[in-house]
Amino acid sequence: MEDPEHTPSTTTTTTPTIANASGRRITNEVLHSAPIWPTIDGPLGLSEEESVSYARRFYKFGYALLPLLWAVNCFYFWPVLRHYRSFPRIRPYVFRSAVGFMVFTSLLGSWALTFAVGGEHLFGPVWNKLVMYNVGDKLGLTGFI
Amino acid sequence: MAPNQRPRSILDSLGEEIVRIVTPVSICMFSVVILVSILNGGFSSASGSISSIATVAYSETNSDSSWDKFKGALLNALVFVGVVTVATFVLVLLFYLRCTQFLKFYMGFSSFIVLGFLGGEIALFLIKDFNFPIDCITFLVVLFNFAIVGVLAVFMSKMAIFVTQAYLVVIGMLVAYWFTLLPEWTTWVLLVALALYDLAAVLLPVGPLRLLVELAISRDEDIPALVYEARPLTNSETISRDELVQRRVWRHRNTGDDTNGTLDSSNIRSSGSVLNSNTSSNATDQGAATVHNHSRLAGAEEGRDLEYKSELSAPLIDHGVSVQLNGHENTMPSENLLLEGIGLGSSGAIKLGLGDFIFYSVLVGRAAMYDFMTVYACYLAIIAGLGVTLMLLAFYQKALPALPISIALGVFFYFLTRLLLEVFVVQCSLNLVMF
Repeated sequence: MEDPEHTPSTTTTTTPTIANASGRRITNEVLHSAPIWPTIDGPLGLSEEESVSYARRFYKFGYALLPLLWAVNCFYFWPVLRHYRSFPRIRPYVFRSAVGFMVFTSLLGSWALTFAVGGEHLFGPVWNKLVMYNVGDKLGLTGFI
Repeated sequence: MAPNQRPRSILDSLGEEIVRIVTPVSICMFSVVILVSILNGGFSSASGSISSIATVAYSETNSDSSWDKFKGALLNALVFVGVVTVATFVLVLLFYLRCTQFLKFYMGFSSFIVLGFLGGEIALFLIKDFNFPIDCITFLVVLFNFAIVGVLAVFMSKMAIFVTQAYLVVIGMLVAYWFTLLPEWTTWVLLVALALYDLAAVLLPVGPLRLLVELAISRDEDIPALVYEARPLTNSETISRDELVQRRVWRHRNTGDDTNGTLDSSNIRSSGSVLNSNTSSNATDQGAATVHNHSRLAGAEEGRDLEYKSELSAPLIDHGVSVQLNGHENTMPSENLLLEGIGLGSSGAIKLGLGDFIFYSVLVGRAAMYDFMTVYACYLAIIAGLGVTLMLLAFYQKALPALPISIALGVFFYFLTRLLLEVFVVQCSLNLVMF
């Protein structure tokens, strides 16, 4: 028993007929109806209806300084990025998550790189106050273990 | 069905399933060994460096005699097993009173503590070791992301399978590393004591894990606990979720019934439910005793193949272990409801409780503190034990403890290697007989 919301989206393509050497036409019509699932888990993952709500929720929660959630969103809905024509409802969220992740990562990465490469040279004594191992020592964060 | 699919032999399906459970166990053990080698390479013993529930009775110091150390370790282990038993019974009680929401919340909270605090501390150790020039803002953002996504992965039932599995392995690795910081004698005696406890709790009729499993079977629910579930094999891409048997663990096999009948009934019953409903509950209690409940879930359902549909389900009792830290200044949250146990999910995927991951890794991590030779020996012993347990699981089709055989073999081979093999191999190498 299959309710409509659980069926994956199917793509149908037909190949044109081919004429062989003897002139007879061989019809090669293939109904390419392999279902494409919206999630990377395939049949074990979500159906399309649930995918929309999941993608939307991941996208919205990612704004809480959670680029990793955007990355997980893109990873989870990778088939949506690949076959973007088949999933018009999920696609905008996954695209925006991908864009958001790349923007955030480039910003954070450039800051981290500047910090690491610049060092005291660039920042002055503030560098020593900001670097993590000093902060850890100062606050006694490693005293737990 | 695609015309070019050849029938899968038992080697394909069974071998694939076994590989899918041995791989994460191996990855967890390997990462703990790496962590131990990097972080503990400096000092040889961590005597009295942590105070936790596992060392409340006796703190090992270097100056004690062997017999004193052994007695102290025994006391520690007994206290710990006692706490675990009490906590498991509390879990059974809560499950009986249907407080599943509370358990799930506790699980998510403890995952957050483990990933955030324990993970943060270990990351800090690594940063200090390598003098990695990361600033605190970046570190906090990355840690925050890591912990929150981890909680979501553990909490939510429909996250990407790979992400959930990866986070469970990471949680196991972090907790196992923490356990390796216990004093040496305490660790070994604790491992043996827990293996015995596991055996008793799962197989005895009065054992808490067995009660938990039977309760879950009778209600046809999943235990909220941390359980690693391997990805089930799917034969064809066209099988929709409705045709796939839902992951229900607690169904007994009806040997007399028609197997197709049981399959259909399970489909109808579980058609709307979410897969992966046996998410583990991981509860950490800051400052309170948390119990690791090790449970073994054994339920096998192989209902996908059109030729061979049989539904076996044996509940695997999970029983989590919780560890309490009683430090003055430390706020390390205790461990959470980690489940141990091996079983089969309703879709034929093998499930192994997280407690098993942890204690296997603790054993190998401890072996790594001595030498790599013991690591190889213990790793092989544990994998052999796991294989035997899987065979027994297929044979008995009920909840089985995954700890005893592997821990017994592991401990046995550790001491054999350390006492006998090492001398032999070193002498051979010195005389250039064997490298």
